[in-house]
This record gives sequence, C-alpha cells and structure tokens, in this order.
Amino acid sequence: MLLWWWMLAAAVVVFVGAAVMLVLAWLRRGSPGLPWFGEREDISERMVLLFGIGIPIVVLVVLFGVSDVYMVGQTSPPNPRTTAMTIDVIGHQWWWEVRYPGTDAVTANEIHIPVDTRVNVVATTGDVIHSFWVPALNRKIDMIPGLKNRILLYATKTGQYRGQCSQFCGFQHAHMSMWVFVQSPAAYRAWLANMAAPARPPTTAPARVGEQLFMSSGCSSCHQLRGTSATGTVGPDLTHVATRTSLAALTIPNDPAELAAWIRNPQAIKPGVRMPDLGLSPQQVNALVAYLDELK
Amino acid sequence: MATVISPRAKPHVERLERIWTERPGLVGWVTTTDHKRIGIMYFFTALAFFGAGGVEALLIRTQLIGPNGTLLSPQAYDEVFTMHGITMIFLFVIPMTTGAFGNYLVPLMIGARDMAFPRMNALSYWIYLFSGLFMYLALLQGHAPNAGWFDYVPLASKKFDPGNNIDFYGYGLIFNGISSTAASINFIVTIFKMRAPGMSLNRMPLFCFAFLAVAFALLFALPSLSVAALFLELDRQLGFHFYDAAFGGAPLLWQNLFWIFGHPEVYIIILPAFGIATAIIPTFSHRRMVFFPLVALAEILVAFLGFGVWVHHMFTVGFATVTTVYFAAASLIIVIPSAIQLFSWITTILTGTPEFKTPLLFIVGFIVYFIIGGLSGVTLAAIPFDQQVHDSYYVVAHFHFVIFGAAVFPILGGMYFWFPKVTGRMYNETVGKVSFWLTFAGTFITFFPMHIVGILGMPRRNYTYPGGLGWSLLNFIESIGAYILASGLVLIVANLAVSRFRGAPAGNDPFEGDTLEWSTTSPPPPYNYPVIPTVSSPYPMWDEEDRKRDNRRLERGEGLLELGHETPASTVQDAQWDEILSMPSYSIWPPLTALMLAGVFTALVMQHYFIALGFLVADGLTLIGWHHKGVRT
Amino acid sequence: MKGTPAVTRSSAAWSAAAAGRVSRQRMAQPNGWWGMALFLCAEVALFGTLIGSYFYLDFQSHQWPPAGIKPPGVVLPLLATAALALTSLPMLHAARSARAGRRGSVIALIVIALVVQCCYLALQILLFRHDLNQFTPQGSAYGSIYFTLLAVHHAHVLFGIVLDLTVLFFLVYRGLTNYWLIGVRGLALYWHVVNVLAVIVVFTQLSPSL
Repeated sequence: MLLWWWMLAAAVVVFVGAAVMLVLAWLRRGSPGLPWFGEREDISERMVLLFGIGIPIVVLVVLFGVSDVYMVGQTSPPNPRTTAMTIDVIGHQWWWEVRYPGTDAVTANEIHIPVDTRVNVVATTGDVIHSFWVPALNRKIDMIPGLKNRILLYATKTGQYRGQCSQFCGFQHAHMSMWVFVQSPAAYRAWLANMAAPARPPTTAPARVGEQLFMSSGCSSCHQLRGTSATGTVGPDLTHVATRTSLAALTIPNDPAELAAWIRNPQAIKPGVRMPDLGLSPQQVNALVAYLDELK
Repeated sequence: MATVISPRAKPHVERLERIWTERPGLVGWVTTTDHKRIGIMYFFTALAFFGAGGVEALLIRTQLIGPNGTLLSPQAYDEVFTMHGITMIFLFVIPMTTGAFGNYLVPLMIGARDMAFPRMNALSYWIYLFSGLFMYLALLQGHAPNAGWFDYVPLASKKFDPGNNIDFYGYGLIFNGISSTAASINFIVTIFKMRAPGMSLNRMPLFCFAFLAVAFALLFALPSLSVAALFLELDRQLGFHFYDAAFGGAPLLWQNLFWIFGHPEVYIIILPAFGIATAIIPTFSHRRMVFFPLVALAEILVAFLGFGVWVHHMFTVGFATVTTVYFAAASLIIVIPSAIQLFSWITTILTGTPEFKTPLLFIVGFIVYFIIGGLSGVTLAAIPFDQQVHDSYYVVAHFHFVIFGAAVFPILGGMYFWFPKVTGRMYNETVGKVSFWLTFAGTFITFFPMHIVGILGMPRRNYTYPGGLGWSLLNFIESIGAYILASGLVLIVANLAVSRFRGAPAGNDPFEGDTLEWSTTSPPPPYNYPVIPTVSSPYPMWDEEDRKRDNRRLERGEGLLELGHETPASTVQDAQWDEILSMPSYSIWPPLTALMLAGVFTALVMQHYFIALGFLVADGLTLIGWHHKGVRT
Repeated sequence: MKGTPAVTRSSAAWSAAAAGRVSRQRMAQPNGWWGMALFLCAEVALFGTLIGSYFYLDFQSHQWPPAGIKPPGVVLPLLATAALALTSLPMLHAARSARAGRRGSVIALIVIALVVQCCYLALQILLFRHDLNQFTPQGSAYGSIYFTLLAVHHAHVLFGIVLDLTVLFFLVYRGLTNYWLIGVRGLALYWHVVNVLAVIVVFTQLSPSL
C-alpha cells in the first residue's frame, strides 16, 4: 500500500502540473506565446522534450526500480524451503476446496493458518480459471488448469480476512468468497486436529433422521462426510460444516434458518449453482438441518 | 474555393458534376462506393451500436446501484456485460474512428477524390454491418456470448459453455476482422499512393499519420485474434484440444493469442483519437502544432511499441518474475511517446490564442482524462500493485478513462468539429458547451470512484455485491454518474440532429481550419476537388498563395481530370505525380459479396457445414463477377 | 489535357503492348500490387501466429509428439515443398513477361506453375489422409495444431490455384490489359510469399524429426 501512496502522490503532481498549464492556456487565451518567454518556438520545443521525454524517463526508471526490481520479489511465489507449511486450495465453480497435506483435514471456503507463519498455498483448479485473492494478505494468483501456482500467505496479526475469486468463472463468480482465519498456534492446532477427525455421529432423534436422509436423498453423492458412506466430491466437504461461519462461499451466514432456506431452494439464493432442488418437505429439511448442525 | 463559382469556372465544374452525379434513393446508398457516403453509413451504424452498448452499460449500472441487486439474473448479467464490451470495442469505437472519420476525412485531407479501393471500402462497411447484426442475432435468440469480451478458456469451452453463445462470438470476430483488415489495406494504399502531387510524407496532416499507424497495427494484430478464434471454434465444434490441458493443450495459449491482439487493439482504439485531437488543436489554437515531426514519429512509435507489451494483462497467471519484469519495462517505455504528444498538445494550446469552442472543449476533456487514465496505467505497470488490483474495478476505471475519456471524447469533439463540413450547417454552440460539461461531469462521477472501490477489493464482472464492505455508496454514486453521462450523450445527439435541419448555414470554413477539407463546399461535392490541389506544407489552408493558384487553375480548366471518374496516384515518399487512375463508381458486388459471407458464417454457427461451403463458393463467384469488367470509367 | 505533366491514364491501356508501356513508365508500384503486398503481410502474421502456437505447445509439453505418435516422415514433404518453391521461377518470369507486354508467355508460364502446384496439392492431400489414419486432431493438442497448420497452408495453396485459374481466364477473355497486368504481378507476389511460408511450415511440421 505504501507503493500506492507514493505513486498517487507522483500522479497528483503530474496531473496538477498539466492542469495548471491548461488553466494558464485558458487565462492567456488572448495572447500567443509562452508566459514569460513570449513566442519562442525553440523553448516550446524544449519544453516538450523535457516534459515528454526527460522527466518521464526519470520518473519511470525510479518507479520501475522500486516496484519491479526491488519490491517484486516480495510477491513472487515463496521458495518452498522458506515456508513452514503447505495448504492446497482448489478452485471450483463456485466454491473453494481446502486441503492440508500431511493430515486428513479437508474443508471448504475457510482457511485457517497460524499467525507469524509462512504458509505456502498451492493454487489449482478443478474446472475453469479462478483466481485466489486475499487482499489484506497478498496479491492474487490465478488458478489455471494444468498449472500449480504458489503464493505466500503470511499474517502478523490474528483476525479474520476476506478473500474472493477474482477471475470471472461463470454465473456465480460474484458469490465465490472465503474467510482466512489467522489464529494463535495453539488455537490453530486445535482446529486442525478437529478438522482431521471424522464426522461426529448424530446424538438426537431428529439428527438421526437427518443422517438417514443425507445418505438417501442424494446429498451423499455430491458431499463428503469423512468416516461415513458419503463420499461425493462434486460439492464441498461437509464433515465439520457446523464450525463454519458462513455457507455457499460466504453467500449466506451459517445459521439454521439460512441453511434450511438453502437446502429447500439453492437456486433462489445462488442462481446457477450446481446444487439442485431436491424436492424435500419442510420436515425433512429440518431434520437435515438438525443433523448438519451437529457436525462440529 | 469560394462558395460562389466564378463564371469562367462554371463550365468545368458543371462537367465534373455531370460525371460524378450521385445515384438517388436507396439503390444509390446500397451500391455506393463514394468514401463520403460510406463514411456516413458507418457513422450512423456505429452510433446505433453505441446506443446499444450504452443501454447495456445502463443496465449494468442499474443492477449495481445497490448491493444484492435483482434487476438482472446472473445469466442475463453475464450476457449484458459481455455484449457491452464486444459492442463498444468491435462495433462502435473502431468502426466509428476508422470507418466513419477515417473514410470520410482521409481522402479529403490528402487531396484525393476517393480511397484507393472504393469497392473494397464499401465491402468493409457491409461486412461490418452484417457481422454486427450476426452477433446481435445471438442476443435476440437469448444466447448472447456470456464469458466476457475476453472469453477466457476453459470457461468459454464447450464443456463449460455448451450453447452456441460463444460460437456467435468466435465466428463473429473472424467475420468482423475481415472488414477491418480490408479497411487497413485501403487506408495504407490510399495514404501512400493517393496523396495530391506535392504532398510529400512530411507535409501530410498528423491526422493521416495517426490513421497510417492504426492501419498497420490492425493489419498485424488481427491475425492473432483470428487464429485464437479459429482454435476456439475448432475445439468447440470439432473436438480439437488446443486449449485443453488434459490433452496437452494450454489454456494460457488463448490468453497469449488474445492479448497479442488485444494490446495493440487498445492503441488502435486511441490512435485515431490522437489524430482527431491533432486536427482540432491547431485549428482552434490558431497556430501550428509544436514539434510536428516529433508528434508524427510518436504516433507511429506508439503503434509499434504496442506489440511488445501484451503480457501485462497476465501478470497474475504465474509467469516467472523475469518475464513479468521485462514486460513491465516495455509497458513503461510506451509512456514516452504518449507523453511527447500530450505535452506537444498542451504547449500548442498554451502558446496559441485558443478559442474554447465545443470541439476544443472536448479535446481539453480528452487531455485531462488521458492524463488520469494514463497515470493509472503507469501504476498498473508496477507489478506488485497490479497483482493486487488486477481484475478489480481499478482496472475498469483505468480502461474506461482511456477508452471513454480518451478515445470517445475526441470522437464527440470531432462530431461537432466536422458537423458543419458534412452537413453544411452549424450546430448550436451553447447547447454544445452544456453537452460537454454534462458528459465531462458524468464521466468523472461514473468512473473516478471505481479506482477507490477497486482498491477496496471489489472484483470486476460480479453481477452483484454484498453490503457492508464499503462498496455500496461508491457504486451508487457511479450509477448516478452513468445517468448523467447518458444525458450528456443524448444531448449531443439531439443538438446535432436538430441542427441538421435548423442550424445556420456554415459556409466552407467556419473555424479557419488548416487542412484541405475546409477548402471544399459544405458538404463537399461528390468529386471532392474540382482541381487537384497544390500543396506545400502540412497546413494547406493557411497557405493562401496555393489556394489562390488553385482558383486560377480552375478558371483556366487545368488539373481537372474530367475525362471520367479520375484521380491522381503519386509516389510514396515525395508524391510525384505518377499516373491517372480511373475509379469505380456504383457497384452491386460489394454488398453481394458481404451477403454471401454472412451466409457462410450464419451456416457455420448453425453447424450446417455443407451450406457454409456452398456460400463460400458463391462468394468466390461474386468476387469473380466483381473483377469481370475491370474498372469502369 | 491541360495543365498536367505527361502522366499516363493507365486504365486506358487495353492492349498488352500499351499495358506493358504503362507498367514500365510507372515510378511507384501500382495500387493493386500494394494491396496484395499488404494482404500478404496479414497472412504472414497469420502463419507467424500458427507457427508460434505450434512451438508454444511444443515447449510446454513433456513429450512432443505425445507417446504413441510417430514423428513425421521427412522425405516426401521436403521434396514436395521444394517443387512448390520452384514454381516461383515461372511466376517470376510471368510477371516479367507481363511487364514486357507478352501475353502468350504469361499464359504459358502460369499454366506451367499451375500444373506443378496442383500436383503438390494432390500429394499433400494424400499425405494428410495418411497422417489422419495414424493419429487425429481430436486425440491430442499435437494432432490439433499439426493438422490445423497444414490445413491452413494447403487452403492457401488451393486459394492460389483458384487465383491462377481466374487470372488465366481473364487473360484469355479480356487480354493483358493494365488491370490484368497488375493482376499477374499480384499473383506472382502471392506465390512468392506462399512458397516461402511453405518452406517454413514444412520445417515446423518436421521439427520433431529433424
């Protein structure tokens, strides 16, 4: 951002300079020639050389040196030896698959990383070109079929950072966002351990009905619940869906009413999304919500 | 030339009028090969597409006026923003600058009676019209192209976009490209060979230098787009795998091919605007352009250097740092010829005695917006910054300032400037100034906040956005700005439309212009110049001796070339008179050829390949018919 | 005609002799020649793009051609291309004869070139079909670019043959007028450029085997 403020300052200087010349042109519209110098064509020509070639060369060389020679290294893909951990993020239409290699942890639309840790994100895609962008933490990197692009995520303050897809990827490109939670190392380890665990079995009666519905109504053919017979990979892994703060890639908050509305008619909330209307009755939906709410 | 014809000149003028009579009615327009009529047809067609693109823009801004908009479904929105880009770039700005302004003015400015290939000129127009209608056919059918104007694969591949939306775009691009390729050949040969004897290259108006540069750039850039579209359609229709990573292809191949065309394309968009500016500034500043030769060189350099920078549209795809740094450096170098021209313009206005009438106001607006747009472009060459704001509204702000602010403002100013010449009537100056301020303010209010909202993280091509991110107020302001801008544009068109019928007679030269077109009547006669003009500087109208000599020659009947539709051809560099050419006049072959081509592409998009082949053969036959009589005098 | 230097009215040259005179008197290249030259610039850019795409896909692949596809045979394509390139000689002479006003020579020379070009195209079509039996464009990116590059090139040869026939037709029925003299010169230029491109294309096509 510092680069931006310096560039803005330089730009304002240039703009004001040109504007002043134009205003002068208007004020002096009755008299030909330059102010002070009068009608000196050779000075006019030298001014063009100075402002058109001389000054720009200096400014551009400085800009190039600062941004494209000095700073550019900071946004390059990190050298694998300098990072402490790796996360795989796979873009899909229109959600983010997040995997933690070396563990069983798989989640969607939420990334957790420990603070003060250099994280290597390997960005790939399962379908079209997407672009991984968490503005507060780093530049964006495109996810291109056949390529494994890498980017560094490094945060020095804990908190919640918003990210989003920034390469047009179809109908719901606008609703493909994610959260990056930066936590203390202890909190992060606890979260990761939980994520790696298989799905909790249901404890209440409605939740048990919900579990049966999940396996029989088609949910399991797209959504995975690790440790159960649901192994679909078309849609996000829902093993610990109740821990997430939002659903459908930040389209709706994660509370029971919203989840129920989503299951009832996903197309009304996120038109074009790949999840079909399953034609369930309200009681069935409530049972499913009860089950999913227990998947902490 | 005086509006009143002296008695001694009269018989010569009448003879020319008889030879060059215009065919009346619809048939006359459909079969015309006159560059002025073709220019007028381009103008109205491009203006209609500008309206269509404008409606698309207003739909976008209305959808985005608040968070979670519901005016357009995501499917509809995707089609609208894609068609907005396609229409504005391929169906409005290029045809308006090259087809309307270029066609009408270049022959006049070089003292010729028509373009080098008048029938091919007509063909360019008809192909343009049919290719535009072809692409809009998709919209009418309800499956317009919907993957953005840059149509990245795999999103645009058959797997992810199965209907024929993209096919209309792929075929449409190839179809439209034929029009522009033919037009560029025409411009280059015209500018090289058809200048009035005595108008050596260094005496050619800067407007023509800009168009020469544009024509070369189009010629070399379009094939890359055509190949990209060919590969896309082969992948989509016949199952080829150019862009398919799973079979050894490369999605990035599309991006490279597209941007190898796409970057020169944006210089093609803006160079004619530079040309228009360099015509208006000397006239209204009442002085010659400062450092003319350097400006001419800069115009050509911009076109040439524009071919070496395309990767700066792809800084986030994961290329090696050394690659991105090279292209950033190349992109920064282009600033130099642009800055040269900019300061030459400003210094010319400053050191002249400028009259800030409506055309010059639009040029000043252009200068202001070109500076803003250019500066935001320079910031984008700072790779780390670009990698943050790429694909955000910051980029949308940048290119709208340079395309709308810097390419369209001169078009609007040029419309006012040459309106008296084309119609013979003056526009209303007061309404003109009001229309300028409305358009200027509207442009600023619409596009400036986009810089901010982009830095705040709003990505482009989103059909809606959530509240609570700090984007809503800025989007609201932008949408209001769009309505203000639209009203300014409507006012311009209304001003010109009303003045067409009620404006005061303009005379030949209401602004004391410097180039040859101001010597003819308003509007010019079909033969442009009764006497081939004498030229000894780039500012022929300010060379009174030459103009008086032309009058005397007319009275004596010298240099008339009235044994048919005749015009001189000269050598390339020094414009020594080489031969007298016989120009074609009315011809049915250009519209027929264009129609056969339209048949080819329509059959292709409907996947009737044998019918397409049939139309191609028919097209070959029309081309033979075209040549069968040679050239009629 | 008053007030003009002794400048020719070129379109009045209907006979071969007159057309030849006009051609020799001109200082600059005629407009039609320029038109063809510029069109060919665009075609060169087209082939540049195709060949660039070939090598782009080549360099970013792990194996080129992919496993299971044999690199192309070298002898027949090279011989055929050499024959095609040699047709520039009769075309060059045809243009020269045109400028000298010798209609008969022009027709004969174009016919000679035409025969060789037709043989070239026939052979190339046979080779193309043979290749299609070994691998397809739908099987790999290699196949896609290989067949497309060749097909676009052969299409240009076919178009040239159509141009040959058209020019011959008008030379016979209209004669060597100024217009068709420029046509012959344009045709010769077309073939020179296509022949050079043919050499570049064949070396690209055969690059895995060389």
